[in-house]
Amino acid sequence: MPPLKLNAVAFVSPQNHPILIRTFVQGQDELKYHYIAHTSLDVIDERITAAMASKSTDCYMNLLYTMEDVAVYGYITPLKVKIIIALALTDSVVRDADVLTIFRALHTAYRQAVANPFLRLNASIDGYNDHATILQAGSAKWRTFRKRVDDIGKAVGAVGIAA
Amino acid sequence: MNSYPPELLVQLAPVMFVAGLDTQAQPQPQPPQTPASPAPSTPITPQTRQDAFYVLAMRLRDALVSQRKVAIWQPEKSKTFQVVLVDKDVPFPPRKLLRPEDPQYSSSHSPLSPLTPSSPLYPDGLIAPIWIRKHTTLVPSVFVVFMRIYESPPLQPGQDEREREAEERKRDSELAAEIAQRKKSTNERNIKLTAVLMASRRMLDDPSLDARLTFIRRQSGLDPRAALFVLSPVSQAEIGDFVRSLQDALYEPALEYYTNHSKRVRRKRNRHSQAASYQLPLSPLASAGIARPLRPEGWTVRYEYKMACFAEFRGEDQVALKHYQDAYSTLLIMFGSTAILPPRTKRWAEAKVLADCINVKIVKLYLYNNEHSLALSNQNSHMRKFADFSRGWGIGEETFEFWSWLARQHRVFAELLEQGTRSTLKIPSAYPTPTPSPALIAAQALEASQIGLDAMRVLGLNPNQALQHPGFYYYMAARCTERRRERFLSALEVGGDHNAPGFVNERKVDHLTIVLELYTRSYELFKKWSPQNMQNPGRLTLWIAFRIAQTYYESGKFDMAVRFFERIAKTYRRESWESLLHPLLSQWYKCAQQLGDVDLSVRLLAEMLGYGATSSADDPDALQEDLLAVLQSTVPSVTDEPLVVDLSESKPIVDAAVVFWDPEVNVGDLAPFQILLSSHPNVSLSSLPFTSLAIHFSGDVPPIVVRHTHNDDDTDIPPVQRIDLGEFVVSPAPSETKEIEGSLRWGAGTTIVLTGSVSSNLPMNVSVSKLVLTIKERSWWIEVPVVPSPSPSPLMAPRWLASVNPPRFVPIRREDHSGVRVHYRSHRVQVAIVHYGPAYLGEEFPIEINVTNGDDRELDIVVDVLLQPTEIDEAVNYIAMDDQRSTSLIKGIACGSLAPGVSVLKKLYLTNTGAAGDRVVDISVQSQSRTPASTPTSPAPTSPTSPTSPVPAEPMSPNAPPMVDRTETLRTISVSTIAPLTITHSTVYKRATRPLPGLSDLRTYESAKRPRDEADAVEAEVTSTLTVAAPAGIVIESVVLQRKDGERAEVADCSVDQDDLAGEWLAGDELCDRCRIYVVPDEDVPEEPIQGPGEYEVTWHRVLPDGSQGAPATSRFPLPPLQPPSDGLIALLDAPTTARLHTPAPLRLTVRNWHPTRSANVTVQLEADAADAFVVAGLRHGRIPILLPGAEESVTWNLIPIESGLARVPRVKVLDRRSAVVVAGQSQPDAAQTEGDEVKIVDVRWEGREEPEGDETGHDGQLVKGQDVYVLVLP
Repeated sequence: MPPLKLNAVAFVSPQNHPILIRTFVQGQDELKYHYIAHTSLDVIDERITAAMASKSTDCYMNLLYTMEDVAVYGYITPLKVKIIIALALTDSVVRDADVLTIFRALHTAYRQAVANPFLRLNASIDGYNDHATILQAGSAKWRTFRKRVDDIGKAVGAVGIAA
Repeated sequence: MNSYPPELLVQLAPVMFVAGLDTQAQPQPQPPQTPASPAPSTPITPQTRQDAFYVLAMRLRDALVSQRKVAIWQPEKSKTFQVVLVDKDVPFPPRKLLRPEDPQYSSSHSPLSPLTPSSPLYPDGLIAPIWIRKHTTLVPSVFVVFMRIYESPPLQPGQDEREREAEERKRDSELAAEIAQRKKSTNERNIKLTAVLMASRRMLDDPSLDARLTFIRRQSGLDPRAALFVLSPVSQAEIGDFVRSLQDALYEPALEYYTNHSKRVRRKRNRHSQAASYQLPLSPLASAGIARPLRPEGWTVRYEYKMACFAEFRGEDQVALKHYQDAYSTLLIMFGSTAILPPRTKRWAEAKVLADCINVKIVKLYLYNNEHSLALSNQNSHMRKFADFSRGWGIGEETFEFWSWLARQHRVFAELLEQGTRSTLKIPSAYPTPTPSPALIAAQALEASQIGLDAMRVLGLNPNQALQHPGFYYYMAARCTERRRERFLSALEVGGDHNAPGFVNERKVDHLTIVLELYTRSYELFKKWSPQNMQNPGRLTLWIAFRIAQTYYESGKFDMAVRFFERIAKTYRRESWESLLHPLLSQWYKCAQQLGDVDLSVRLLAEMLGYGATSSADDPDALQEDLLAVLQSTVPSVTDEPLVVDLSESKPIVDAAVVFWDPEVNVGDLAPFQILLSSHPNVSLSSLPFTSLAIHFSGDVPPIVVRHTHNDDDTDIPPVQRIDLGEFVVSPAPSETKEIEGSLRWGAGTTIVLTGSVSSNLPMNVSVSKLVLTIKERSWWIEVPVVPSPSPSPLMAPRWLASVNPPRFVPIRREDHSGVRVHYRSHRVQVAIVHYGPAYLGEEFPIEINVTNGDDRELDIVVDVLLQPTEIDEAVNYIAMDDQRSTSLIKGIACGSLAPGVSVLKKLYLTNTGAAGDRVVDISVQSQSRTPASTPTSPAPTSPTSPTSPVPAEPMSPNAPPMVDRTETLRTISVSTIAPLTITHSTVYKRATRPLPGLSDLRTYESAKRPRDEADAVEAEVTSTLTVAAPAGIVIESVVLQRKDGERAEVADCSVDQDDLAGEWLAGDELCDRCRIYVVPDEDVPEEPIQGPGEYEVTWHRVLPDGSQGAPATSRFPLPPLQPPSDGLIALLDAPTTARLHTPAPLRLTVRNWHPTRSANVTVQLEADAADAFVVAGLRHGRIPILLPGAEESVTWNLIPIESGLARVPRVKVLDRRSAVVVAGQSQPDAAQTEGDEVKIVDVRWEGREEPEGDETGHDGQLVKGQDVYVLVLP
């Protein structure tokens, strides 16, 4: 089984605003992955509706779609932050467990980033804005989140989770 | 799909030729000239008959033809035929080129064989579409011929029966001969021939029909089975039945036909593969020429393909699939060697088309079976393999040919899916249906086992093999076509052989139209497959729409592109995907440039400036230079009014934040504020010619305008500039606009801070509603409104510039920083409340309210008092002030206007009745300024309605009320209330001693004012004790018993009539009164208490702290209710108190029967004793006459004392003879009770003795003394 290759990662806020989009492919059109992240929201919305109808609480959204050379997978955290990854398309079976491992790692990275108390350093005291905090976590100012995500991307490419 | 020969793609089905239904040659217009009809010998029949057969034929045609449509996707396996309408004598194509008579016949080949020199496949072709066409249109598997059977007209009178039969026989023979002719040619090819004889209904009943049919069949040599049908004109529904049964009957022979073909081909293939050298003898002959003969692999492909087709005809999908796959894999081998298939030759091109078509067939057959992943993997591997081949052939990814081919593959697949989804194909969802119920799991497992999904599906799936809806594949096709165009354009640039045939063809292709078509198809499908409930267009469709717009742009249709961009931008703006907006805006801008729409260009540039799109830290000036260039080189469409660039949906060109230092100020005080205008870090606005900035405040205030001054433009723009706006008043609104000068230039990431102070003489909410930046350059007049955001970033607290150099900011950590509330200063009014509690019930309790104006203005004071309702029962309380009196609210007691320092005293009286407890009083003192604060003409500051104002609209509504300068001071007091006096009563009853009138006396029944004689009445003695409870003591003016004599109770006399209780009394003092009342108990309801016949009225005064007396108050205490006891049979013994020695004294015994109903039989017995101190004269033992209820009897003795001192009277015993009579004992202590027979004897003197002994002892005496009666004998 060939190792998975992570092409891009996107974190999208519950209001469907982008938090952070990282691509790991050299020389490719980065915009393409922005589009992929954005369009994936359609499929995720659809799945959420289906999941709500069946009262499922599964975070893993499975394969969203394949397009050109990538397979797009989705994940939604319990607080409705969406994580979208684009894997390079190979003609082999992708184990859900592997994808889920990547998602968990990304989710952990996100949680650690949002837990940063300094995100709200300059915020006004009485106005508590969760959404803004989330968006702030992805801004260029906070490098650790990017670094963690990049590390995950590298790890996926280098090791391959396939055991 | 149109790029492939349709023959190679369509779903094959058994072919049925139908003859004899063609043209009935319009029988209607020329009914008499029937000879032209195909049944020439038909005699002239009535026109209706003719019509019936015509209609029948038409219906049959329709029914047969509509059995099956030629289509690519047709997975149904119903036994239907592909019907072809032909002439009766249609010839079949020759099986071989030579006539059968020719001796070379057996070694010759089919005209389509590559071995036949005249064949298009000669010498090395594989399979031509014409071969399929031969089997679908030229050669059937069954042949159905419709014919009319001869029907002789009804017997004419003169006609002979035999003659008629002969005629029939002759006609039948002709018919049979015709069929036999046809049968001969069909037999050659093993084609089943079926004749359908059309006859009238009458004919069906003809007994001779059977014989005739047998004759015809024998004569024509038709098969015994399913070869001859008879049909009469029937209804549409019955035709359907007929067609169905016809097909059912003929399906078997059709399958057999194709099976035979398969067998034949297989035989040939086997022969071929066994004798691999079979080809060799021929090859030298052929290779002598230019062309080389077909290689064995080619023959294998050919045979496998044919077998696959025949299997498909039979509907055996699995067999067909197998053969197609074999053919395909052999084809791959052929492609693998350039020796076998030299690239870029005609045969090579044909083979490529064949391979593509076979792939489509394989994919389709997989999809029929719902084997999505197999289908997809086949499709993918097809594309991958041929992509590899293409590289070898020199048409790799760098050529447009490659992308053209790839686009076609995607497109064909998409079209196949689209066709499939229209009928039976279901696109699976990768998302497993969650919460699987056991039934669902079982169903899924069943399904999985059926369609052969491998176990890996459980753990994951190959994303490459997840089938998606056709829109994705159209999209891929479009993308490939785009690349194709790119390659083509680059090939054009490079030059080279522009006359190559491929290139010439490519030049004719309108790539963009194809791309557009593909994207549009994809867009529609995405729209169709997106969930319906979403009202906004899906993001996937937006993506496609963006690509469509791009394509429009590429193809120069800028207006179309602009329309798309407009729609797409909305969603991207709303979801703030800036990364997607940037390319969109720049492309849009390019379109606008191309269209020459300068207004739009300006708008877009402004929006791009707001987003900082396409700008980088290296070149922050790029956008503004573009904008400047537009401004300087063009003229706007409208010059006499400004072009308003509204960026409210997107980001503003500069971030604006308004900060007020204080949340609220008093009227007339200055509220300092700052407006921060910051440019984006990557965008420099330094050369944009902003001419002015207008600051609009909420309300009808004219804006403050900051004009740009041209100081030295060369100097660097400092990161923070400050412009002082000074102080100004917003209310009353100044009549003219204030103008200030300052530098309105921003560098990249710089801030201009406008500082100032605002004041208002009226209470209102002040905020900044909007800022308008104006650019005037040449003929351009552009206005950019900027709405101040609550804060630039929700996580950035608003800042207050504390120092310009170095720039320092103080965070303002308030929510409502963007506005200020102006309100009147509150009045300094002191309210003091004095009262000396507790209040007493029944009095008017005074409460002093002292209001002092401590303000420097003259104030109008109004007092409201509210008495809170109490929960105490029967409490009716009043408050009174001035002339108003109310149980709850006194409103608007005017205290007049108070000059500064003046105070006013108001007395509030609280009157409490009912019970003791706390009373709560709310006192509201309202002050209103006398200065009529320049009553505004426009008292409607719109500030509360301003949406940006975070200040909640306080009690002041937008109308007049906010103008009233009023302050309210509230006080609440709780007054505890107690009763000043308490009273206790004790009551004693005595029996009357007077004789009863008896039943025989008429007076008993008279209903006079007094119902009975006084003797009936019980005398009650009430002792009332008044205790003073008021802590400070009270002054009692008088205590009076107000008599309220009733029918049953009457005050005889009382002590207060004589005693004077007036005076000052202290807490704990007790006053006493004794009162005698005659009570006549009600005979009927002796239990009912009788109301006390009067009340004490105590008039008193409160003793005030200064020693004076308060207002007189009256308390009333009613006499207690009376409940005299009732008696039964009782004996009253009346003995003298004293007696003289030796002087006779009377002793009287009265026996009364108080019992309401029972008569009494009583004996009296005097028990004299020797030790007695008396000598008794009188009855010793005797019976009293029977006492009726209410009657009494007296017995008198004379006592002669013989000893002096206290002597006991001889005991008298009264016995009630009514044994076992129990008179209900009363609770009253003096009630006599008969125990057993003995009647209680009461000494009446005890009652009479109460007076000298006082109230307290009388009660006890009655209890203590027994039956012994004593007399004091004096010497």
